[in-house]
Amino acid sequence: MERIDTYPTHKYKGFNLRPGRPIPFGATIVPGGINFSIFSSHATGCELVLFKKREPKPFATIPFPDAFRIGNVFTMIVFDLDYENIEYGYYMDGPFDPQKGHRFDKQKVLMDPYAKVIGGRDVWGEEPDWDDIYQHRARIVFDDFDWQGDKPLEVPMEDLIIYEMHVRGFTCHKSSGVKHPGTFAAIREKIPYLKKLGINCIEIMPVHEFDEFENSRPSPVSGEKLMNYWGYSNVGFYAPKAGYAATGRFGMQVDELKTTIKDLHTNGIEVILDVVFNHTAEGNEEGPYISYKGVDNKTYYILTHDGYYYNFSGCGNTLNCNNPIVRGMILDCLRYWASAYHIDGFRFDLASILGRDQNGAPMNSPPLIESLAFDPILGKCKLIAEAWDAGGLYQVGSFPGWGRWAEWNGKYRDDIRKFLKGEAGLVGAMGQRIQGSPDLYRWHESGACTSINFITCHDGFTLKDSVSYNGKHNEANGEDNRDGNNDNDSWNCGWEGETDDVEINRLRRKQIKNAVSILLVSRGVPMILSGDEMGNTQFGNNNAYCQDNELSWLDWDDLKKNKEIFNFVKSTIAFRKAHPVLRNKTYFQDRDSAESGYPEISWHGTKPWDADWSDSSRTIAFMFCGKQAKQGKGNDDFIYTAINMDWNMHSFELPEIPEQLKWYIVVNTDVEPPEDIWGAGKEKEIENQFEVSVGPRSVMILIGKKSN
Amino acid sequence: MELKVDKKSGITVIEIIGDLDGTSAETAQKEISEHITPGCSLIFNMEKCTFISSAGLRVLLVSAKHIKRENGKGALAGLSGDIKDVMEMTGFDHIFNNYDTISKAIEAVRKEK
Repeated sequence: MERIDTYPTHKYKGFNLRPGRPIPFGATIVPGGINFSIFSSHATGCELVLFKKREPKPFATIPFPDAFRIGNVFTMIVFDLDYENIEYGYYMDGPFDPQKGHRFDKQKVLMDPYAKVIGGRDVWGEEPDWDDIYQHRARIVFDDFDWQGDKPLEVPMEDLIIYEMHVRGFTCHKSSGVKHPGTFAAIREKIPYLKKLGINCIEIMPVHEFDEFENSRPSPVSGEKLMNYWGYSNVGFYAPKAGYAATGRFGMQVDELKTTIKDLHTNGIEVILDVVFNHTAEGNEEGPYISYKGVDNKTYYILTHDGYYYNFSGCGNTLNCNNPIVRGMILDCLRYWASAYHIDGFRFDLASILGRDQNGAPMNSPPLIESLAFDPILGKCKLIAEAWDAGGLYQVGSFPGWGRWAEWNGKYRDDIRKFLKGEAGLVGAMGQRIQGSPDLYRWHESGACTSINFITCHDGFTLKDSVSYNGKHNEANGEDNRDGNNDNDSWNCGWEGETDDVEINRLRRKQIKNAVSILLVSRGVPMILSGDEMGNTQFGNNNAYCQDNELSWLDWDDLKKNKEIFNFVKSTIAFRKAHPVLRNKTYFQDRDSAESGYPEISWHGTKPWDADWSDSSRTIAFMFCGKQAKQGKGNDDFIYTAINMDWNMHSFELPEIPEQLKWYIVVNTDVEPPEDIWGAGKEKEIENQFEVSVGPRSVMILIGKKSN
Repeated sequence: MELKVDKKSGITVIEIIGDLDGTSAETAQKEISEHITPGCSLIFNMEKCTFISSAGLRVLLVSAKHIKRENGKGALAGLSGDIKDVMEMTGFDHIFNNYDTISKAIEAVRKEK
């Protein structure tokens, strides 16, 4: 039966209108037209501005009649629009009174904060028309993708192996061999590679629409244009970055991203989005009007008492996350990505800001973080916090997680790096990190998987650079090497930067393997930085946020050059996946739940059952009892790992295991390939079953099992 | 955009000429649906189709679902490389089999049970 609300009730300059529905916010296709809905707590009037796609001037401006306003929401259905070929924005009227937090300017065309598709930067790096009065243009989305039965994978946290990547960086280099470099479609082309590597989750650096031209400038070193390459500066929270889609020029980025996600899911790979809700691209009082500032400045931003922007993000402004309206917007947004894009999880950039109140003070039980933890639509999504912000709040271990949130464990990174470079006094900390950091997270209901273990991430050195540089080399960023972290806990192994020295390069490869070995036997969720598996270097730049060039792009020829590293990473991932005792969501039990005669984890030193926890110690060994895997329900081998970060070789006497079992070698980072790692079923039985010699700065992993 | 319809021994060949986009999608959908009958065989001749937008791709997808519901058969013929590429990247390549020429498409539709 035909509905009566498909007929207009009003006319304005030839447009057929009727009062809209306030929910959902944004622009929604309804029978016969488009429902536009936007809220502003302080605006006094609002006009809908319609453009033909890419046209400089609007073809219509339609004021919202007073009768169409419900509460603080302006809403209207406009009939008979060619919705594929229009762009829409708003003029908002209201006071310009910065001291009171209001910055209304009815001359500015404002983007809908709920825009699902945004034009204006359709092709990455294509210079926009700077005279255009509407730079980031809201468009109407077709929200009817044919998922063919796909749904989020819901891989248990303990089984997850995350691969942090950048859409452009992954395939932009000419060596990638893909049809459309630097795009979502190219990720799809590389799925066979990701499967070969063995990871089961990609965490993609920001894909929400941002402006790559923000703060663009020439590099003082190369003269090349520096861009906002990483994209930690949102223009729109609901729209995928058009320039990341090969089909962005046709406005089809939504379908391209969804197709990529569907294919990743088909191949057993989850997708986590890195989301940036701490600030927007509008900067401070000097920054541009894009949307929020002109729609409802006082609601969207945390402001000082005299109307200036608080800058807890380090990027000019701070989103007012615990204002109930903004909180609702963030929740709506994540629900949208989880349901419309089948996203498996979110990593929240500078998540501590999400816990600040409207005056910027940290809260005990932040309502936004709680809402996300208990939201039914996000009920199976992974929620991962970067538990600090640029305003000095550091909450690793104390981020309020309600048993749902995991955290990027910055302490894991710092302690492992220090231990790897041979610093003393870290054995105790290593004991904690290897167990999933119970010292930080034992009180969390989500157990050991609260800890996202990583040694490298996009921020900071790549793994190769962490063993090749003592200090950062960010001159090319044009900030006199002031930007980027100074506390890298890195060691160059004897020479700063690239070298032909055979011994130094050998040691670097070994250190990379040591790091990977420790990461993949640690309890918690391992995360690998894209490119580390092929020995990617950024030549000492530890903050490549603006380097859209070969410094950041993965050189796929490295796969051949560093085949040894790739093979090692791939095989270590396979080893983790093959052994359930390495993957458990609970902390190690002190009791013997499988009546095996062994604890789930036992600590050893150069003598069995006698770990050296002293400050001067640089050696530690630990053994997992496979019978205890999955609370005694699994049946795995014994796994013994000896770590020697001393510069001398040490002998480790092995703990006794049941006599029908023998020790086999899986990993020995001190020897050259192919004997550095042995694949499943091919492990090499060791001659001396009572003692092993672990080389200087080396890791050895053994398994105790019945004969091959 | 223009549609030309030709019937060849029980098979309806619909030629799409020009851009299939938001402007033409609704009309195209209506015209195509008139040819979707129980057990029909439909081939879309895309040789002269210069561009397909999101709305255009949805016309094909909706037609495919409609044909399936009527237990009919459908195929595409003569897609240009660029359009084929866009269809692959946006996940619309699974909706119909695509053949280089009309005669190959006709042959395939005939063999299809």
